[in-house]
Amino acid sequence: MNTIANIALRNLSRQKKRTILLGSAIAFGVMIVTLINGFAGAFSANVAENFSDLMAGHVFISGTEKGAKDKDVSVIRDDTALTAAVKASGAPVKYVTRRSAFSGTLIFEGKKIRTNVDGANLDEETFLRDRLLLKEGSWDAMEDRGALILSEKIARKLNADVGDTILVQMQTVTGQSNVGEFRLAGISFDAGIFGQMMSYANLSYVNELIGLAPDEYQTMGIMLDGLKRTESAAASIYAGLSGDVQLFERGVKDEKGAETPFQALMRQQSKETWDGVKYRLFTINEILSQIKQIVAALDTAAAIILVVLFIIIMVGISNTFSIVMFERIGEIGTMRALGVQRGGVRSMFLYEAVFLALGGAIAGIIVALVAMGIISLFDFGMENPAFIIMKNGHLSFYLPPLRAAGNVVVIALLTLVAVASPAGKAAKLTPAEALRTQK
Amino acid sequence: MGIVELENVRKVYPLGKVQVEAVKGVSFCIEKGDFISIAGPSGSGKTTILNMVGLVDQPTDGEVFLDGKPTSKLKDAELTRLRHETLGFIFQSFNLIPVLNVWENIEFPLLLGKTRVGKDEKKEWIDHLIEEVGLSDWRKHKPNELSGGQRQRVAIARALVTRPQIVLADEPTANLDSATGEQILELMKKINRELETTFIFSTHDARIVDIADHIIRLRDGLVTENVRRGEPAAAACSSGESAGA
Repeated sequence: MNTIANIALRNLSRQKKRTILLGSAIAFGVMIVTLINGFAGAFSANVAENFSDLMAGHVFISGTEKGAKDKDVSVIRDDTALTAAVKASGAPVKYVTRRSAFSGTLIFEGKKIRTNVDGANLDEETFLRDRLLLKEGSWDAMEDRGALILSEKIARKLNADVGDTILVQMQTVTGQSNVGEFRLAGISFDAGIFGQMMSYANLSYVNELIGLAPDEYQTMGIMLDGLKRTESAAASIYAGLSGDVQLFERGVKDEKGAETPFQALMRQQSKETWDGVKYRLFTINEILSQIKQIVAALDTAAAIILVVLFIIIMVGISNTFSIVMFERIGEIGTMRALGVQRGGVRSMFLYEAVFLALGGAIAGIIVALVAMGIISLFDFGMENPAFIIMKNGHLSFYLPPLRAAGNVVVIALLTLVAVASPAGKAAKLTPAEALRTQK
Repeated sequence: MGIVELENVRKVYPLGKVQVEAVKGVSFCIEKGDFISIAGPSGSGKTTILNMVGLVDQPTDGEVFLDGKPTSKLKDAELTRLRHETLGFIFQSFNLIPVLNVWENIEFPLLLGKTRVGKDEKKEWIDHLIEEVGLSDWRKHKPNELSGGQRQRVAIARALVTRPQIVLADEPTANLDSATGEQILELMKKINRELETTFIFSTHDARIVDIADHIIRLRDGLVTENVRRGEPAAAACSSGESAGA
């Protein structure tokens, strides 16, 4: 190793307490930033995966046709072309769901609550039984055509028990008001903030309530083997559908740029007219494009914390190295007398700072990784309101290696900036000055 | 042959608002292989002169010739290179690098500059120097594990490791007891004889003055006596002795 770098490294061990203190300050800052980065890294994927589960798909195809008075009617009447395109795409499909849904008001013994009801084919969607844990009731009771599964929260608000009959008010796809009855077949563990949104009924009964034929539905959900291939799968399916069916253009953005691409698409759709069913293909990423903004905000917050923490730490490092320079002034004089150039003296301080920064930063990352490991062991449960940002009830973290490396580089650079002034002063000393000033 | 020459050298230090004239126009010539004592009371300008001869400080006026070459116009990098190649230093407070052990402290000057010595040759030479200064059993020890006398021996070996033409020693026995001081002096005298290295001391120590070939006495920044082997020495090197003269 370079002689000056070797001395710089050994110098760190001279004042162990001081080195540990400065290194710990750097490590603490890095740990906080790494934890935020790790959380932000997993946040987007966790939310998307959880939403994929709730919505039963990574890629979705919905159909819309123009009804009376140009009203949009959400329906898929014949999915032969869709099924063929999904098959031909070669996408890693786990399963395909066919759902209809409405937003209606549930009424029981004078109590009302507004909720979404998803109509699912429970014979096909066996995975739903595994994912949605029932607190009361049983899946077998879903064989009853008018059966309904509510989350614990909604059931509690309605004060309804398993076996009770619940009235429902909703609109059909053509906008006509309708009423129906559900029999409460099960109460599921509350799925947090989305508990009120998700209630499940049989597809055929929901179709009847909203005015669709039994073999029709509104949205096809394509669940892949993971989030990663969502966009490529969507592109393949979209390409397969092009030419066979009428398709809305993908990725349309609002000229104002204030809304999500998904919302912009919806707006675009309401302006157009067409005959028959026109299909819209979208992905979980489009629905959750705002999540990216949250992740960006988290990353920005992490960057601000990094800078603020390190401005404070840098002031400490700069002052400490100024003191160190005066403590070692005799050594600087000796080295200069023996033939070390000004650049060598400067390098010695800068090497010392870089070693300190690297040591602190690596320690900080290791501590953060250990903390992530420990935190991710805690089971917060699926009923936790924050479940949507978790993975199976556990907080999870993903630290992109480049982000971690970037943080280390930023810290090393900031430390170099902090030490530049004392290092420069040390280098400017003439050997005689330094030897005269030594203790 | 003149190896160092000072020509009307003055050195003025600013001390707050006052200018202190530490050296008031000094001229003398030092010959190669000499064992020279620059003696005088505290504040007489000994260390200032030694610093200027050692190129760690520059005169306010006048010229320092090293091996016949003027040095006042040289840039810092050139002065540093010249110091490394020509001079060895022994300090009153030893000034060893605390994080390096005995062997590494002695090796340190060889790792500077552009010239590299072969690994085997370097090891052989450093081991020889360590043996010469009697520290064979201490080579792995750090300076804080050594006595004052041992530290000064390390400093002597370090000063000699680059085979310099001149070794400058600023009160090398001041921090040593008399017995150790005597041993150190004997060692330096031996090296002076064997390697023909020029030794220039600034000192109060009468023992050094007694064994010196050339004595320059100072008082208040002026030379009061300049004798070489009992006879008055010339203030300037003769033209045949120094290219700068």
